[in-house]
Amino acid sequence: MKQTANMLSIQEMMQAGKLTAEGFLGTDTRNLTEILLADQAVVNELGLTFKEIADKMQAITDIGLKMTEAVLPVNEEFAVQVDEYMGFIPCPFADNYQAAKRNTLLKNRRTGAAVHWSDLNIHMIREHGFFEGVGSYFRLDPAYLISFLK
Amino acid sequence: MEIFITVASVSGISTILTILIIISERLFNNYGTCSIDINDGAKKLDVEGGSTLLSALAENKIFIPSACGGKATCGLCKLRVLDGAGPLLPTEEPYLNAEEKANHTRLSCQVKIKKNLKIVIPEEFFLVQEYKTTVAKIDRKTHDILEYNFKLDKPITFKAGQYMQVKTKPYGKVKEVVWRAYSISSNPSTHDAVELIVRRVPQGICTTYMHDHVKEGDIVELTGPYGDFYPRDTASGYVMIAGGSGLAPMKAIILDMLERGIDKQMYLFFGAVTKKDLYYVEYLQELADKHANFHFIPALSGALPEDNWTGEKGLITEAVDRNVQDITGLHGLLCGSPGMINACIQVLKKKGMTDDIIFYDKF
Repeated sequence: MKQTANMLSIQEMMQAGKLTAEGFLGTDTRNLTEILLADQAVVNELGLTFKEIADKMQAITDIGLKMTEAVLPVNEEFAVQVDEYMGFIPCPFADNYQAAKRNTLLKNRRTGAAVHWSDLNIHMIREHGFFEGVGSYFRLDPAYLISFLK
Repeated sequence: MEIFITVASVSGISTILTILIIISERLFNNYGTCSIDINDGAKKLDVEGGSTLLSALAENKIFIPSACGGKATCGLCKLRVLDGAGPLLPTEEPYLNAEEKANHTRLSCQVKIKKNLKIVIPEEFFLVQEYKTTVAKIDRKTHDILEYNFKLDKPITFKAGQYMQVKTKPYGKVKEVVWRAYSISSNPSTHDAVELIVRRVPQGICTTYMHDHVKEGDIVELTGPYGDFYPRDTASGYVMIAGGSGLAPMKAIILDMLERGIDKQMYLFFGAVTKKDLYYVEYLQELADKHANFHFIPALSGALPEDNWTGEKGLITEAVDRNVQDITGLHGLLCGSPGMINACIQVLKKKGMTDDIIFYDKF
């Protein structure tokens, strides 16, 4: 699919070495527009909105923020750990948003299964419907994420 | 087709306008030589206008801390510009509180030099120097923390608790050079070398460089020392609380105080999740065994059965609450993530410690 100049410019900012060491697109061979449309279709099919997913993620991160660098219970099944690092990272969509360098790890205490996300992930899902490219360190498969958050 | 023509027209006009702006900047925005008056005449620089204040000062060997290379994403390069800076930019707003805005604090990376400036910078910035160092030793401390020993090309004088900035080199697909700040963990009585603790930030440009590309024997450029996180009052004892790489400045402070024979009570709490996140534990415990006034209390919030951990369990706040009963004569020194520090401040205040004697360095 052909992309607009704006999308090309954003895609360029997502390349390895621009804002992060390995970039936002991983090994995904699709372009940014194709990634966005595919993930949007998954979210639509599951009857949710980007905002609902981001709100849920933020609520879990907020629990972890009560004491960072520690394991805190979310409920009987899940535990959360939020790690913070110095500084901020700008959103590659060039919307002037700067996310704290903060990562959340949500873990199922019984099975050990886990998902992790950054504050920037939450923003990019909420505002841009972007879950990152396949193979990216912070890629969140929307179907898996939604099932995990349920 | 119509949409294509519209997009092409808009793109074309934008490109032409951008080119015109660049040409006009080169032709008409020749600011000539501008003077920078520092600290009311204490130092005066003549620089070519057009560059940022941060880079102009660096070219004159005055190194203002900056971790983002001038992108206005770290907020570290603050200084006061009393005259000549122009209006505050939207990129600066998020990093300045009301008091700072009122006293003309600016991000020096965002101030473009267009005319003569009057600025105020802390005196200690004049002591900051560039060091060409050799990586003498890299020691893995945990799964995500490495300790680097840098042999310096000239002696350094620093206060325990201060930090250095590391300059990266291009690697892999990373073409830009960045600077990042790391605390010194070594004793200030060592002048020919510094030790820095570097915790890997997932996807971080500098920590990936440090962890994956820097090897023993490499030449690495540092600047420093920076920072005002150091104990002022040696007449008091301290409750020190650290998390993660926040243990680095605490180690330097403890070594310094013990070497100087300060006999006040010092409690050092170190919070981690599991045993694999702990480091310096045996070393600090040995110091505690030798010095009756130094108490070391590591605590694990998520100890695993296989850790066989017999020490403090639970949140670091709970460990502090259990182990410090009387805070009389004690000050607070905290270094770690903002979330940890905020929670610890509440515990210390609950015990009666007042804000004015709680010092912290949030990273």
